[in-house]
Amino acid sequence: MSTAYGVTAVVLVVLAAVLIGAFGIRLSRTTSDFYVASRTVSPLWNASAIGGEYLSAASFLGVAGLILTYGADMLWLPVGWTGGYLVLLVLVSAPLRRSGAYTLPDFAEARLESMAVRRMAGVLVVLIGWLYLMPQFQSAGLVLRAITGAPEWAGGLLVAAVVAVNVMSGGMRSITFVQAFQYWLKLTALAVPLAFLLLAWRSGGAPGLSERDVATWALPLSSGREYGLYSTYSLILATFLGTMGLPHVLVRFYTNPDGRAARRTTLVVLSLLGAFYLLPAVYGALGRIYVPELEGSDTVVLTLPGRLIGGVAGDLLTALVTAGAFAAFLSTSSGLTVSVAGVIGQDILKGGVRSFRAAAVLAVIVPLGLAALARSLPVADVVGLAFAVAASSFCPLLVLGIWWRRLTPAGAMAGLLVGGGLACGAVLMTIGGGPYPGLLGAMLAQPAAWTVPIAFLVMVLVSLLTPGRIPPNVARTMVRLHTPEILDLDRGDWRPRSS
Amino acid sequence: MTARQHDSSVYEEIQAGEQFQELKRRFRAWAFPMTAAFLGWYLLYVVLSGWARDFMGTKVLGNINVALIFGLLQFVSTFGIAWAYSRFAEKKLDPLADEIRHQAEGKTE
Repeated sequence: MSTAYGVTAVVLVVLAAVLIGAFGIRLSRTTSDFYVASRTVSPLWNASAIGGEYLSAASFLGVAGLILTYGADMLWLPVGWTGGYLVLLVLVSAPLRRSGAYTLPDFAEARLESMAVRRMAGVLVVLIGWLYLMPQFQSAGLVLRAITGAPEWAGGLLVAAVVAVNVMSGGMRSITFVQAFQYWLKLTALAVPLAFLLLAWRSGGAPGLSERDVATWALPLSSGREYGLYSTYSLILATFLGTMGLPHVLVRFYTNPDGRAARRTTLVVLSLLGAFYLLPAVYGALGRIYVPELEGSDTVVLTLPGRLIGGVAGDLLTALVTAGAFAAFLSTSSGLTVSVAGVIGQDILKGGVRSFRAAAVLAVIVPLGLAALARSLPVADVVGLAFAVAASSFCPLLVLGIWWRRLTPAGAMAGLLVGGGLACGAVLMTIGGGPYPGLLGAMLAQPAAWTVPIAFLVMVLVSLLTPGRIPPNVARTMVRLHTPEILDLDRGDWRPRSS
Repeated sequence: MTARQHDSSVYEEIQAGEQFQELKRRFRAWAFPMTAAFLGWYLLYVVLSGWARDFMGTKVLGNINVALIFGLLQFVSTFGIAWAYSRFAEKKLDPLADEIRHQAEGKTE
């Protein structure tokens, strides 16, 4: 495979990101405030932007790799990643929008009137962000090595540097249309090569799966994984309930003028994500037929065009897929880095521009180090762990905070500590060592099924034990959360602090 | 039209009001059973995969089996529920919210 095309593709995407970041400073000054400015964006643009930021390396590369390896079971990842938006829409999005809080720590402070809970939420945002960033950097290294033969740390360093510079300059995020463009780039970068691949597959006599694969691979829960049923349930819980707790997802919901537009946006997001996720599934199936030796790796999407088509056309298509992959690394990492740096700068350092810059560096250096140290796991698995931590901490906080008056700061704190702590512990054991055998191994690799119920239970029990500590303004907060936003009432004096 | 800071009676009144309670009731009556129903539908797929393998492996067309069709239906149903929610909110929630708003404005003027 010629490396020239691949290198050109990477250089073009990185250059585009840097230039947009640089010019974004000017643009973002004219549109003084991201939150206010983007409230005039139409649902389609807004939904494209949500999709652009959401579809990470895990969706672009990881899902196809896992489907190739484990078969039909893994269709749950994309279904869960899409379905999480539905749970978010129905249970959380409208009340959260009305609360006036832009971030999860903001919500924790507004609802529970406690700085301690706010800080705990901040710590969890940082941990989840790091856990989500780490596999993005690992995948970047993998892709760059596959394309150019560069050492594995180089790709991660490249993405981390570009993202840090961009976030420090403040450009990338403020422009909804850049993220929207990223969605369509990623969709094109998978769809166009796939069209050619399917043509090649047909002209090659449309070979099917082997007899053995039809009986096992194509059927859910029969690929012989131990405790497949437990793992699948756990995965469903993590993805459905974790989406609402991802720092870079929630903030995008504020870019709608009102609840009605927010609902329309969610509908469009669901169709955009659904359309996108069909593609990696087909890649996975084609990979099973043509390159079964890639089992357990994330490179099937990159390998297929060269293998099936070859020649200059194959190189060009590989370059297109590479460009899409780098777009995925850059867009998701930017969104996450902004969220993580915001929390570090505001809640841990002193606040202000200099702190934010230091925080941006800190936000990418830690996951970069983790990427070098951690055991190499499939990217979609690690992202799944980030969902599990979010589902075991922020899901109970949001659901109980919005729907249950008797939640106390002590209860929230205990639930976050226990749920988030247990999930983080399982994650550390999984990426640090292992794989562990038996049921224990399955429970550590997919912790959500036990950590989510424990987190809910602890939050409820400790709240019931501390009835005297219900926040004094809970009545006003609850009216604020549940009154339709068109109601022009005083919603209390709490405002999100500006960084 | 904004109620003043110390004038908390307005939203206490609203919250106690029949219409606001009805609004909350309508939302809960729709959202909670629906959440349970769609989680149930997803879990059904897993249950069928575990205990009704022959059924899930039935070939419908070429190599396309029931499991695959069910899998695709998961995406479709996710979208369908979101669409249904959107319709429900526009028909049942928004008009009531509008009414409450008009009354509240009348009181604070």
